Amino acid sequence: MTDNDRVAVRTEGVWKTFKQEPEDVHAVSGVSLAIDAGAFVAMAGPSGSGKTTLLNLMGGLTRATKGELWVAGRELSAMSNRELARMRLEHIGFVFQAYNLLPVLTAFENAEFPLLLQGMDDDERRQRVHALFKRTGLEGLADRRPGKLSGGQQQRVAVVRAVVGEPALVLADEPTANLDSHTSDTLLDMMEELNRELGTTFVFATHDPRVMERARRLVRLVDGAVASDEHRAPTAVG
Amino acid sequence: MTTRVAVMVRLALRNLRRQARRTTLTATAMIIGGTLLMFSLPIADGTHEDWIESAVRMGTGHIVIQAPGYLASRKIDDRVPAGARRVAAEALASPQLADEILDVVPMVSVGGLASSPAGARPAQIMAVDPLAEARFSILDDRLVDGRYLEPDDRLAAYIGEGLREALDVRVGSRMVLTTQDAAGEIAGQLVRVVGVYRTGIPEIDQAVLHVPLATAAAWLGTNDDVTTLAVLVRSSRRVPAVQRVLRRSLEPIIAAGDLDVLTWREASPELDAAVKIDDFGNYLFQGILFAIIGLGIVNTILMSVMYRYREFGLLQALGFTPQQTGGLVVVEGVVLTALAGLVGIGLGLFLTWFFFRNGLDFSFAWNEEWSFSGVVMEPVVVPVFRTARVIQGLVFILLVGAIASLYPAYRATRIDVAESMKFER
Repeated sequence: MTDNDRVAVRTEGVWKTFKQEPEDVHAVSGVSLAIDAGAFVAMAGPSGSGKTTLLNLMGGLTRATKGELWVAGRELSAMSNRELARMRLEHIGFVFQAYNLLPVLTAFENAEFPLLLQGMDDDERRQRVHALFKRTGLEGLADRRPGKLSGGQQQRVAVVRAVVGEPALVLADEPTANLDSHTSDTLLDMMEELNRELGTTFVFATHDPRVMERARRLVRLVDGAVASDEHRAPTAVG
Repeated sequence: MTTRVAVMVRLALRNLRRQARRTTLTATAMIIGGTLLMFSLPIADGTHEDWIESAVRMGTGHIVIQAPGYLASRKIDDRVPAGARRVAAEALASPQLADEILDVVPMVSVGGLASSPAGARPAQIMAVDPLAEARFSILDDRLVDGRYLEPDDRLAAYIGEGLREALDVRVGSRMVLTTQDAAGEIAGQLVRVVGVYRTGIPEIDQAVLHVPLATAAAWLGTNDDVTTLAVLVRSSRRVPAVQRVLRRSLEPIIAAGDLDVLTWREASPELDAAVKIDDFGNYLFQGILFAIIGLGIVNTILMSVMYRYREFGLLQALGFTPQQTGGLVVVEGVVLTALAGLVGIGLGLFLTWFFFRNGLDFSFAWNEEWSFSGVVMEPVVVPVFRTARVIQGLVFILLVGAIASLYPAYRATRIDVAESMKFER
């Protein structure tokens, strides 16, 4: 197993600075991290600690001001917008706090969307989404639009959308923030199961103690820098 | 690539349906524009066809075969020799052209003087074949007194009402026509007025008169020579093609300088200019109308982009490039304008269809004798349907939709994906 296979995401001295008056804001200050493939990692910290910004940097949604950042063995800062888009499509899945499903598509169409963009053929695409819907208890909801789904159901669809393309990395930004405790537990069960069985790497930005409890690695951020990095258990894969 | 376009079209259609009120408002503006476009273009084309028809039947024909210098000189010296005239007639009767040609009318048309005991006036003397001219010209339809020329007439003249008044003559009166003959001598001819017409165009009514071609042949010594062969083509749109074929067939005698083949645009540059100016005015009006509609569409689509800021950010997070996100906005704009444009075009043609048979009567706005540039404006305009106009209209509407979408699309490409995820609507 090469280093590239073993490490899902690696940052080296990554900074993200926002130009602002009277002085610039360093949202991320020289963070160096290596997250193994198959990890189930939570990044925690108070509001403004830089966890969402770090997540966005890892996802190629924003560019680092300084430093280097590798996902699936490829350095992001050198990539063009087109290459970044391709990278996100093929190697990164996202789960957002506000679910962010496309309102004009059904649950099934939302879930299959990344595969559609990848150009996967109809049969394989449907088979893959059906299998995940079955595994995550979304059967029977496939034809519903997001407006007709509960928050928990929408977030489950978002998780299926994030993992359906079998990405190297799933980035989840406060995925349980809008859910009640029971729904949060169910969702986390599902994500743990997907992590265990599919070996998908999950990185969370969270305030939620339930997520922190379940994480096998907990990175605490304060003022954009790593304050502590606690490894609790071996990763699911590797 | 094809998959992404299909995804874009699917998203575009669903988004248009989702934002029903916004879509309806934008579509309504485009439908009104499309309807006006498809109503006004056939009317304008019909008006131009009337002008052309009126002008070509006043003497020039759709295609004019004449000596190269005649257009400028209008003198009998510049005439088509009998031999060249026969070759031209044979070319016009060839299988390649026979179906395109409605009529060929020979004439000798020269400037001269018409005089009576009451005085003298300059006149455009047109020596014509009475039978052919009756089929071709609209002057015989404008008879107000007496009759038109007949094949057996020899010393007869058919004159305009303006000339009759100026010379104080009536049907049966005699008058003298004077002009230069083929030998370059001044020659006079006594004729008797057999009929009087009125077109409503003063410059024609006061000057143009018809005499039999046989009279001119003897009087002016032209024999079978003519100054003009006026050719009436079945469809005015076929004129350039017929001209090309004729020019190819008559190449040797054109090269010899015996004749030239001109279209009505070349033979009547003032009419050509009038049609072009009118077209320009129509296009300008349509341009302004669609610019206003386009601005409305820009506003609507821009609002839609702002409203869906997070959605566009999400698409980029899922793998759309900024360009593809902009492309989606353009696809939405084009799909919306295409659908609305098609409805508008259909509605416009439906409205126009009512007037295809009997025409649109503008007599409330002008009387029957309104004219300009030597052309009588008919108060009833029959619209002309042209498939090309429908295609032009649709392409134009699509262009407006695409152009109106460009700025909102640009804004969509500039979305900060990370920021958009914080965006609350």
